[in-house]
Amino acid sequence: MAKELERRGLPVALISAIPMIPLGAGANRVVRGVRVEHVCGDPGLSTEADRALRRQIVGTALKALQTPVEGPTLFDPANGSVS
Amino acid sequence: MSATVLHYLNQFFGGIGGEEVADLPIQVRDGPVGPGRLLQRKLGPPGEVVATIIGGDNYVAENRDRALEMVREALNHYQPDVVVAGPAFDAGRYGLACAEVCLLAQEQGISAVTAMYPENPGFTTNRRHLLCVPTGRSATDMAQIVDRLASLADKLVAHEELGSAEEEGYLPRGIRRSVVRAKPGAERAVDMLVARLSGQPFVSEIPVVAYDHVPPAHPVVNLASTRLAIVTSGGLVPRGNPDHLVSAFAQLFFRYSIADQSALVAGDWESIHGGYSTRAVNTKNPNFVVPLDVVREFETQDVFASLYPEYFVTVGNGTAVSDAKRMGATIATELLAAKVGAALFVAT
Repeated sequence: MAKELERRGLPVALISAIPMIPLGAGANRVVRGVRVEHVCGDPGLSTEADRALRRQIVGTALKALQTPVEGPTLFDPANGSVS
Repeated sequence: MSATVLHYLNQFFGGIGGEEVADLPIQVRDGPVGPGRLLQRKLGPPGEVVATIIGGDNYVAENRDRALEMVREALNHYQPDVVVAGPAFDAGRYGLACAEVCLLAQEQGISAVTAMYPENPGFTTNRRHLLCVPTGRSATDMAQIVDRLASLADKLVAHEELGSAEEEGYLPRGIRRSVVRAKPGAERAVDMLVARLSGQPFVSEIPVVAYDHVPPAHPVVNLASTRLAIVTSGGLVPRGNPDHLVSAFAQLFFRYSIADQSALVAGDWESIHGGYSTRAVNTKNPNFVVPLDVVREFETQDVFASLYPEYFVTVGNGTAVSDAKRMGATIATELLAAKVGAALFVAT
């Protein structure tokens, strides 16, 4: 689905807990999520820490949207910075 | 004893005309017409195209019952051994008509075979019940297709059991037949792996869908002036699932308003995705799937201009690639029209 958006010129940041799958399928900007059961966050963390984690993930996604890429590229919130 | 074939063609291949005569009611001619002549030459002796039914594409589409009644009369009159319909290539109405003719023949206990482009709705809506040779989009490979039609027609008439789709050159019908192979699966898998690693040719027993390459869309230049939208395959819907989004094999997507919300409230939403445990999302925090709380924070800080007032959702559990493509394309059209410049896609 994300590729169809991209095919028409819309940059997409795809957040996935198993990045290998969308990367293998050809999605170009993939952001690593936490777990399939809670892609954008962690219920095991405190409310504040979970929100901070989610901010980091979405921030990485926003950064990815602004980054030129040549092909399927992984953006890891652990490495990247919040935009 | 002569093997008799009844051939179905549309108004164009029947040599009558194009779209301007698409309303042509069913006509029956003795002997072969147009590509039917080629078919006759390719049939093994003593095969004979005894008659040709020509139907206008619009006529058949709009007067289905009457058209099929006329085909039934022709079938009763000629009592063919086999019916050949098309090839229809990529012509949708023609493909549908060919499919209907084949299904009718089969209902009457007469074998039938057709040919069309694999994405022709005539095939895709009837794949389990049609013996169909794949064609390209245009009639350039007519001769080769007619050849294969003739060979399948001969086999049908001789009541020969057909081999696999790959062997015989027809489109897979999704029918699985157990066969005994010489070696157990584990050995065949290792053989295949060894061949692959040493650069030897090998043939997959189960072809995996190949994904096409989409060049990356240009990055967003000015995020602060860009409109964003959220799409997810995580199956998050308002509690109660008002539109009954299915938990697997989804073919539809829905959209729900997040316009006046600064975060998704636990309990107001649920995920009905059948492919993962939805407890955390449902009991703790729907923002795990649609991260609205932090997206709104970024919006308040003017990191991006505005958020599309609805998010789009389907369920990524056994979703067919073709359905996913279609849904993605539909959403894309809407977002582009609404001047959305980028999307966040939360996948599951």
